[in-house]
Amino acid sequence: MNQYFLKKECKELHAFPHIVEFALKKTNTIQFDSLKKEACEFVRFYYIIDGRYDWIIEEQHHVLYPGDLAIILPGQNFGGEKDLLHIGTISWVWLELQQLERNGKMAMGIWSGLTESECATIGKILLLINCQVLSKLKEAGIIFQNIHNEFLEQEIGYVTRINQLLDELFILLARQLNRHNNSRRDFPQAFTKLEQTLRTDLSHQWTVEEMAALVGLGTTAFSEKVKNFTGFSPLNYLINIRISEALKLLKRIDVQITDIALDVGFYSSQHFATTFKKLTGYTPSEFRKKHITPNNEIF
Amino acid sequence: MDCIITIEIGTGAIRVVAFDLQGKMLGSSKGAYPTFHARPDFSEQDPEQIFITMLYLLKNFLNEKVHPQKHEVVSICFSSAMHSVLPIDRYGVPVGNAIVWSDNRAKKEANDLKNSDLGKVLYKETGTPIHPMSPLNKITWLKNNDKDRFLATKKFLSLKTYIIQQLTGEYVIDHSVASATGMLNIHTLKWEADALKHSGIKADKLADLVSVFYSPKKIKKEYRASLGLHDKVKIIVGSSDGCMATLGAGVWGDGKATVTLEESGAVRVIGKEVLQDENQRIFNYLLTEGIYVSGGPTNNAGSVFEWYAKQFGDFKKAFDMEDCMEDLINQASKVPAGSEGLIFLPYLQGERAPIWNPNARAVYFGLNIKHEQQHLVRATIEGILYAFYNIGKTLEEHRTYTSLSANGTFASYPFWTQMMADIFNKPVHIKPGSGSDSVAYGSFLLGATEIGLHKNLNEAAETVKLPDSFLPQQQHHKVYMKHFAIFEKLSLKLFDEFEAIAELQNNN
Repeated sequence: MNQYFLKKECKELHAFPHIVEFALKKTNTIQFDSLKKEACEFVRFYYIIDGRYDWIIEEQHHVLYPGDLAIILPGQNFGGEKDLLHIGTISWVWLELQQLERNGKMAMGIWSGLTESECATIGKILLLINCQVLSKLKEAGIIFQNIHNEFLEQEIGYVTRINQLLDELFILLARQLNRHNNSRRDFPQAFTKLEQTLRTDLSHQWTVEEMAALVGLGTTAFSEKVKNFTGFSPLNYLINIRISEALKLLKRIDVQITDIALDVGFYSSQHFATTFKKLTGYTPSEFRKKHITPNNEIF
Repeated sequence: MDCIITIEIGTGAIRVVAFDLQGKMLGSSKGAYPTFHARPDFSEQDPEQIFITMLYLLKNFLNEKVHPQKHEVVSICFSSAMHSVLPIDRYGVPVGNAIVWSDNRAKKEANDLKNSDLGKVLYKETGTPIHPMSPLNKITWLKNNDKDRFLATKKFLSLKTYIIQQLTGEYVIDHSVASATGMLNIHTLKWEADALKHSGIKADKLADLVSVFYSPKKIKKEYRASLGLHDKVKIIVGSSDGCMATLGAGVWGDGKATVTLEESGAVRVIGKEVLQDENQRIFNYLLTEGIYVSGGPTNNAGSVFEWYAKQFGDFKKAFDMEDCMEDLINQASKVPAGSEGLIFLPYLQGERAPIWNPNARAVYFGLNIKHEQQHLVRATIEGILYAFYNIGKTLEEHRTYTSLSANGTFASYPFWTQMMADIFNKPVHIKPGSGSDSVAYGSFLLGATEIGLHKNLNEAAETVKLPDSFLPQQQHHKVYMKHFAIFEKLSLKLFDEFEAIAELQNNN
């Protein structure tokens, strides 16, 4: 079968409130405006089975070939370069997740078997590793084909099976994005990248799982590497960054101490004060008083 | 038991080491911080993160390895990387990040000055080659290109000055680190007026000059309480990493030189004379009054081998660099000396001594159809060490030395150390299992001398015993010299082509 199209109102999708569309589409003739550029809702995955496609995703031009997978996140602009769908065969799925925010906060919904922390990590990876096309991802093609078969056969357990396949697709993507992002050779470079990411969102309560996933390692191997490279555990290294950013802000009179605590990622100003005092011997306000008074002025 | 603690503020990490008064290491600890490159030529570090890393590390170290064992800290002796510039405002607050030694933004300033008469005079008076690394050119760059920051600056500090000021309240810079700024007259130990004028500042914009043995009066009570140190513990400002690596390797006077093999590297000697090189190829930094550490730095040491490993090595486990490098060295050992006529110029990051050419680039020369991967590996290591030999040869025009002591991470590979002995045709000594702690050991000797355990640094240096020795193998030396002759010529001959290719790359 060359054409298969499920939309939200189809009865096949009643058991899948999170699937907005699932399709396998063969295009034989070019139709104008068949793929107009627009801001998209939902998470969309497009897998190329056959043909060559010129697409624009978030202002970036991509040429896709069979085996390639495009990832479009909610709010991103997507469409054909000439606003049309070229000749060939593609398969896609649109998903409405329970939550996917710009900072990477993601929750799949009750259908998914992924744990909360796995979801959080995958969400971070999807959002932070800015990669719209993964090329030569045959495994994704197999997942799409299996989903299609399950819909066609509707054998016993097919609902569970399709949801599992969707979970699998997310896991595959997260892993591939990591490989794409890291050479897995140069730890200092991978760590530098991670550090930049941490600094851009310092108020987030980073977990070791999230950090490890961004480097593409398991938590044990990651912690060991970080300890070896920096001398600190991942969370202690993070405290170094938080306190040094806090030091800078404490030396600027225009920032409130309570704001500093939350901005640099402490749970509360109490938590900030305790950690700061333990390390430096000063409370944050004492530190501020001692460091930016006219007494301190250099003449 | 009494102990001396050394703190090295290195290029990418702080190292804290404790020694008993006999020089036995009691423990060590390391903490890293990042270098930021806002633009390709920029290399900056966050002074607050370095300070916090130092404090955190020292506190944990004292609580885990010193206080529970009832060791009494006598003094804490600092050392640091050279050439950093940290502008601070009138409240002592940093105006942006510190600009570190590897920063190249002042290329034009350095080039203009180097080719001027003033440049020649300044090299003679300050001992520092005119290069973008030196604070002289960095401050000039700020004056020319970042007026706001320049004007907001009340003082230009070194990173070590800042860290010590945070701990003690005093703005001081030791003669060693000061002598690497390009602004200190190494003969008179005063700031060089022409250098200051050139960079548009007065002496009050710099920290107070002090001896490497100087102790600030006190550690701020908050930090002292937090670290659990009593009020008799002395802070010693100490020296630079380069000077300390040389002292810690036991080099003193005629006869000995030291080779440091880290990511970058250097060959150094110590003596009472300044080595005045007509072509400005040699640096002369002060260790203490009247004692000079002279030598040449290279940009391309371990970092080049790491580059090779990352590109062409076999990573059996993710990020397992050590394993991959050992594997490569094993391959290299299967090829005879000289890599059967393959030569590598290692100038991936331009080069400092002795060719001082920022446009230099790497070259494999002489590849033929029979060369295999293992030839390339061996040639890469040989090329890195030829560059060291090239520095050593330049130094030998001024000072004879009959043996080398090696230190740094890459000196711990016997294959490298043996090759060094063969290329230099001199025995190479290495502290067993020392790795990179020769900087720390130098600082320990300085601290030990300060409390009177040695009469002077000369005597302290003599206590360094280096048992393990790699002897040169004549037959290999001859082969290497035939290849080195081509290496040396190519390094200069390609000048125009280096310039042309660098321009193409810079325009990309």
